[in-house]
Amino acid sequence: MPDLRTEEFVVNMGPHHPSTHGVCRLILTMDGEKVLKIVPVVGYLHRSLEKICENRTYPQCIPILDRFEYVTAMSCNYVFSLAAERLAEIEVPERAEYLRVIMLELNRIASHLIFYGVTAMDIGALTPFLYGLREREMIMDLFEMTCGQRLTFNYIRIGGVAKDIPAEFIPYCRKTVSVIREKLNDYEGLLNENPIWLVRNKNIGVLPPDVGIAYGVSGPSLRASGVDYDLRRDDPYSIYDRFDWKVATRSNGDCYDRYLVRLDEIKQSVRIIEQALDGLPEGPVKAKVSPNFKPPEGETYARVENSRGELGVYIQSDGTKKPYRVKTRGGSFNQLQVLPVIGTGGLIADLVAIFASLDIILPEVDR
Amino acid sequence: MDIVKDIKNLLAGMGITGKHLGRHAITIQYPEEKWTMPERSRGIVVLLSDKKTGELNCTGCELCMRACPTGAIMVHAPRDEKKKRHLKAFTIDFSLCCFCGLCEDACNFCALKMAPMYEFSTDDKESLTWDMKTLQEIGRDVDYVDTRKKKKPVKKTEAAKPAGKPADKSADKPPDKSAEPALPEAKPATEDEPTTDQPSGNETKEGEQ
Repeated sequence: MPDLRTEEFVVNMGPHHPSTHGVCRLILTMDGEKVLKIVPVVGYLHRSLEKICENRTYPQCIPILDRFEYVTAMSCNYVFSLAAERLAEIEVPERAEYLRVIMLELNRIASHLIFYGVTAMDIGALTPFLYGLREREMIMDLFEMTCGQRLTFNYIRIGGVAKDIPAEFIPYCRKTVSVIREKLNDYEGLLNENPIWLVRNKNIGVLPPDVGIAYGVSGPSLRASGVDYDLRRDDPYSIYDRFDWKVATRSNGDCYDRYLVRLDEIKQSVRIIEQALDGLPEGPVKAKVSPNFKPPEGETYARVENSRGELGVYIQSDGTKKPYRVKTRGGSFNQLQVLPVIGTGGLIADLVAIFASLDIILPEVDR
Repeated sequence: MDIVKDIKNLLAGMGITGKHLGRHAITIQYPEEKWTMPERSRGIVVLLSDKKTGELNCTGCELCMRACPTGAIMVHAPRDEKKKRHLKAFTIDFSLCCFCGLCEDACNFCALKMAPMYEFSTDDKESLTWDMKTLQEIGRDVDYVDTRKKKKPVKKTEAAKPAGKPADKSADKPPDKSAEPALPEAKPATEDEPTTDQPSGNETKEGEQ
């Protein structure tokens, strides 16, 4: 009888695989269906944003950084403005802070709705994608009526926001959040108890909290492992401390919990938006900032809680109109780092589920 | 029974999607019907003209050119011996434009605006560079709130200057006027009521000029 044995083989997943959320190449060493080794290859979406920013004035950096993490471009606008404001010690008007919080939370919901749809589609369910994007469309309408764009907003500026909201914003925003609150039942009804969804997600890709912390994972992916850490509460910025909301956590750290945490976060964001709309004061929306904005010499790091973890911007200023150095930090990079750790040893189909549940997007990885 | 529970849960999901069975489609058949863009929608950049004289509001101060993060705007306005600028050329390269709206914010003279027009795709990169005349023609139908100061010296000289240009305005159509379209109808009545009270300098309360 001849000697029968199996052989390892290499599969190239990506760069243009639809479930890699951008262009990410994974070199997989396989034994049948089992993944033995994962090597992510990044850089296909590199646009050299940090270097471009060094050649732009501070206000010009904001539309450039819109492209950094374009699913939640408001956070990118905000974190750069926050860093520049800390450098120049600019006081932001009250109304602008409220508007910022409303926009940031709306964008967080939009991002989680994308996650909801895309994750389900990666696993094979098409309907949630249509549902998620339907409600996201209302949020996009809100952004469009406020700042004129749907994806690259350039809305949050140094010293405040670009424009005040139009008159029809508040009623439409209230309608949007109540629709989302109502539709969340539909989302949960579609997937939470679905047997196929449970089999594909429960106990798949368990991320232990210590591994997550060691690899710098943050945001909902880490909170699903039971680590109660949210920058909105633990490193307060803006006016989040005025609102009544809870940090959503889960304990198992598998794909299913990462999905549930994000749905919980939508609920909390809805609560924050409703309170912010109630307390929205009158007044100016932008502090006086010179067009030739020149912060004093120094360096600063600002970080915010994005829908994909900690989003940070480090600015080194040499006292001129242009930043001397801009460094960005995105949560997706660390989550891609941890993918080989938790994906190795599983099936290739599970790898798709893990990739989707970590909510990695490649523009944030490559910059 | 596990299988009974699974089937029940599957049917629950089906029930949610089943609610859509009786509803009619909401698809907009694009080239025939068009979505009305919001007022603030940031489409192409157009040059605005004075409502009375029909001349361009642009003074050639080059602020928009400096504000542009991608270098899409090119203003050529040399100074004469009295240090006064004369606008000779104003081109926008829409293949570079990132539609951020910084030029609109930088302008203090209501000279340019991002209009809610989006149909300007072409198969030729060269034709995406629009010159002053084209931008002016497209901007002629765009409604705007004139926020320029009344007693600006710039204003006076502009009005006093014999208008040689506006005569041949309506005659020459721009070469590539592919972006005529979906403008919300101009409502001249609203122009002395600025909707926002934005303190950033270019939206102060100021009626018609």
